[in-house]
Amino acid sequence: MQQTIKVRLIFLFILLLGIGVGLIAYPNGPDLAIGSYHKELKLRLGLDLQGGSQLVYQADVSGIAQVDQAEAIAAARDVIERRVNLFGVSEPLVQTSQSGDDWRVIVELAGVLDINQAIELIGDTPTLDFREEGEDSGGLPTADVDVYNAAALKRAETILTEALKPDADFAALANEHSEDPGNTDEQGNKLGGELGFAKRGTFVTEFETVLFDQLQDNTVHPEVVETVFGYHIIKRESSRTNEAGELEVKSRHILIAKRSENAVLNQLANYQATGLNGQHLKTATVQFDQTTGEPVVSLAFDEEGTKLFKEITERNVGKPVAIFLDDAPISIPVVNEPITTGEAVISGSFTLADAKTLARRLNAGALPVPLELVSQQTVGATLGRDSVEASFFAGVFGLVLVALFMIIYYRLPGLLAVIALVFFYTPFVVAVFKLWPVTLTLAGVAGFILSIGMAVDANILIFERLKEELRHGRPLDQAMEEGFRRAWSSIRDSNISSLITTLILYLFSTSLIRGFAVTLSIGIIISMFSAITITRTFLRLAATNWAARHLGLFGVSNQPIK
Amino acid sequence: MLAIIPKRKIWYAVSAVLLVASFVFIALGGLRLSIDFTGGTLIRLSFVDRPPVGDVSAVVQASTGQSSHVQTIGENKYAVRLGPIDNDMHQALQSSLQERFSDVREDSFEVIGPVIGTELRQKSIIAIILVVLGIIGYLIWAFRGTGGLVRSWQFGLNAILALLHDITITIGFFAVLGYYFNVEIDVLFITALLTILGFSVHDTIVVFDRIREGLKTRSDDLEQIANDSVNQTLVRSLNTSTTTLLVLVALLFFGGSSIYYFVLALIVGVVVGTYSSIFIASPLLVTFARK
Repeated sequence: MQQTIKVRLIFLFILLLGIGVGLIAYPNGPDLAIGSYHKELKLRLGLDLQGGSQLVYQADVSGIAQVDQAEAIAAARDVIERRVNLFGVSEPLVQTSQSGDDWRVIVELAGVLDINQAIELIGDTPTLDFREEGEDSGGLPTADVDVYNAAALKRAETILTEALKPDADFAALANEHSEDPGNTDEQGNKLGGELGFAKRGTFVTEFETVLFDQLQDNTVHPEVVETVFGYHIIKRESSRTNEAGELEVKSRHILIAKRSENAVLNQLANYQATGLNGQHLKTATVQFDQTTGEPVVSLAFDEEGTKLFKEITERNVGKPVAIFLDDAPISIPVVNEPITTGEAVISGSFTLADAKTLARRLNAGALPVPLELVSQQTVGATLGRDSVEASFFAGVFGLVLVALFMIIYYRLPGLLAVIALVFFYTPFVVAVFKLWPVTLTLAGVAGFILSIGMAVDANILIFERLKEELRHGRPLDQAMEEGFRRAWSSIRDSNISSLITTLILYLFSTSLIRGFAVTLSIGIIISMFSAITITRTFLRLAATNWAARHLGLFGVSNQPIK
Repeated sequence: MLAIIPKRKIWYAVSAVLLVASFVFIALGGLRLSIDFTGGTLIRLSFVDRPPVGDVSAVVQASTGQSSHVQTIGENKYAVRLGPIDNDMHQALQSSLQERFSDVREDSFEVIGPVIGTELRQKSIIAIILVVLGIIGYLIWAFRGTGGLVRSWQFGLNAILALLHDITITIGFFAVLGYYFNVEIDVLFITALLTILGFSVHDTIVVFDRIREGLKTRSDDLEQIANDSVNQTLVRSLNTSTTTLLVLVALLFFGGSSIYYFVLALIVGVVVGTYSSIFIASPLLVTFARK
C-alpha cells in the first residue's frame, strides 16, 4: 500500500510538472513574472532559422599587456553590444572568443539582412585614447633650458627692433629668423611668416589677445609676445568679416622657439599611450566653453579613469597631453594643474554639429582595441525559412511514425511511453529551451529530434527487459522492477558516453554546432529523467492485477515460456 | 538463436571489403573539403532563368579577377566557389551580377579566411581525439572488475575498434559521394561524425553490458555466452536503430536541404554502427580473448 501511495503522489507531481511545463512551452504563452523578475518567454531562433548576419572581428591586442587583454576584449564586447542594441536589433549575440593568442568578437544579428549596414554600424566605433609625451623628446635639463630661453628672448627682441623699423621687410625677416616649422611648405619654400586669415579660436590665447584686441591692421606689435611655443613678433596685416559675421584677421609672425623640458609640441611621434582610453569613459557631453562660447566635448571618466587621469595630469603639469581619436590627434591641451575631478574637455574648432556627432560616437562606445572584420556570413531568409518549415514537419512526421511503431510493437507500455514523450518530454525540453535560453539553430533542431530517438531508446531498453522477465514467469510488478534495474546500467552507460560527446562538441566548436550539442544534451538528460521517473511511474500505476491477467497488453502471452 | 559469433569470419570479410573500399576512395582524394576547411568564398545564387555556368564564371572572373568553380544546385541555383574577396570586391561582384543577370538573387555569402578554416579543422580533429579518449576512459571505469575471460580494457578497446570501423566507413561513403557527385564535407559533417561516435558506442555498450552480465553467471565458453547475449539484445538493437532511423529518414526526405547531407551522414553512421555492434564488436571480443 505504501508503495502505491508513493507512486500516486509521484504521478500527481508529474502531472503538475507537466502542466507547468506545458504552460511555459506553449507558443505565445504567458511570460514568466515572479515579483519584479520578468522574463519574456519565447523561443529564440538562431541565425540560420531566422536569417541574418554573423560577423567575426579580430582584435588587435598588440598594444595591450597580457594581463589586461581579457578585460579589454570584454570591454570591447560590451561596447559593441551597446552599439548593436542602439541599432534596434533583437537579441544580438555578441561574444568574445579566444583561441591561443587570437582574441575575437563574434557578432550574430538574427534578422539583420543588410550586412553592410551592420558592418558599418559596428565598424564605426571610435578608438579613443590619451597619450603623453615620451621619454626621449629632445628636452634639456632645467638649468640649461633657462639659459637657452633667455638667449632666445634676447634674439627675439633684436629681431623685433628690426621689424619695427619703418622700412622693414617683415616677410624677409621671418624667412630668415622664424623657427616656426609651419613656415616652410612642402616644396621647401619659405612663406614669409604668413598665417593667412583666421578667426578666434585658432591660436593660443596670448597670441590672439594681441592679434585681435590690441593690434590694428598693418601694424607690428611693439613687444615680444610669449606663448608656450616661444617668443613671437606679430604683425597684423588686414582683417575682414566672414559670412557668419565673424572677424577674421590676416597675420604674419616670427617665432623664436623656446625650449622646455619637453619636446616641441609638433613632435607627435613621441606620444605614448597612458593606459587611459575609451574604456574609462563614462559619458561625453556637448558643452560650451565659457570664455569663447564655442562648442566643446566634455568627457567624464569612471572611477578608474578618474584616478588614471589624475596621475597623468600630475605627471604632466605644464606639458601637453594629447587626445587621440582613431589614432589621430584631435586635441592637444596643455595641462595647467592636476585634474582630480575626472573631467576633461576636448576643444578645437568644432561646429555644434561636429561636437554633437563626436559626443554621440564617444557615448555609443569608444573601443579600447582596434577591431578588424575577419569573417562574415549572410544567411538569406529563404534558406532558413524553407528549412525551418520543412524540418519541423519532417520532425513531426518522424515522431508520428515512431509513436505508431512503439504502440504496435510494445502495445500498452508503448502507448504509455508515447504519452510520456508527447505530453511531458517534448514540452519539458521546449520549456528548458525557453528558460535557458537556448538559441535554436537548424543543427539544434536536429539535435532535439535526435534526442527524441534516444529517449525512445531508453524506453525500449526497459520494455525489452520487461518482456524478458515476463516470459520467464515473473509476476508483473516484479518484472517491472527487475526490468528497470537491469536496463538502467545500459541506459546510464550509453547516455553518459553520448553526453561526453556533446560536452566535447560544446567546448570545441562554434556557436552553430554548440546549439546542436546543447539541445542534444538537454534532450538526453531529460530523456533519462523521463524514462526513469515518468515512464516508470506510469508503468507502476499500470501494474494492476487486471493488467497482470492480460499480459497480451505487454506483448507477452500469458503462459510463461520455459 | 542465430549463429552470429560462430560465423564471424563472414562479417569480418564484409567489413574488410567496406574498409578497403573506403580507404581507396579517401586516398583517391574523394573527400571534398568545404569552405569551412579550406577558407575562401562561397556564394550561393539563385535565378529564375538560370544562365549557363560559363556565363556566370565569366562575370566572376571579370569582376574579381579570380577563376571560380560554379556548381549547379537543383533547378535554378549555383554555388560559386572562389578565393577570399573583401567587402568592396563583393559589392562590385554583386553589381556586376545584377547588371548581367536581372533575375539573380544572392542567397548567401560566406567569407571565411584561412585562419578560421585551419582552426576549425584543428578543433575538429582535437575534438574527435578527445571523444575517443573520453569514451575509452569511461568504459574502462564502467566495466572494471569484469576480469576473467575478458579484461575491462578489452571491452573499451573493442568498442573503439568498432567505432573506428564505423567512422572510417562513413567517411569512405562520403569520399565516394565526393568523388562522383562532388559532395562536400563541412563542419556539420564533423558534428555528424561525433554524434555517430556517441551512438555507436551507445549501441556497442548495450551488447557488452549483456555479455558482462552473462560472464558473471557463467565463465566457461565465451563464444557461447557472447552469442547468447548478442541474440538477446538483437531485438532491442534493431528496434532502437529503427526508431532513430524513422526520424532520420523523415528528416532526410522532408527536412530542409541544408541539413540533407548531415542527416545522410547520420543515417549511414547509425546503420553501420548498429551492424558493427552486433557483427563486429562482440566477435572481436571473442577473437582477441582467445589469444
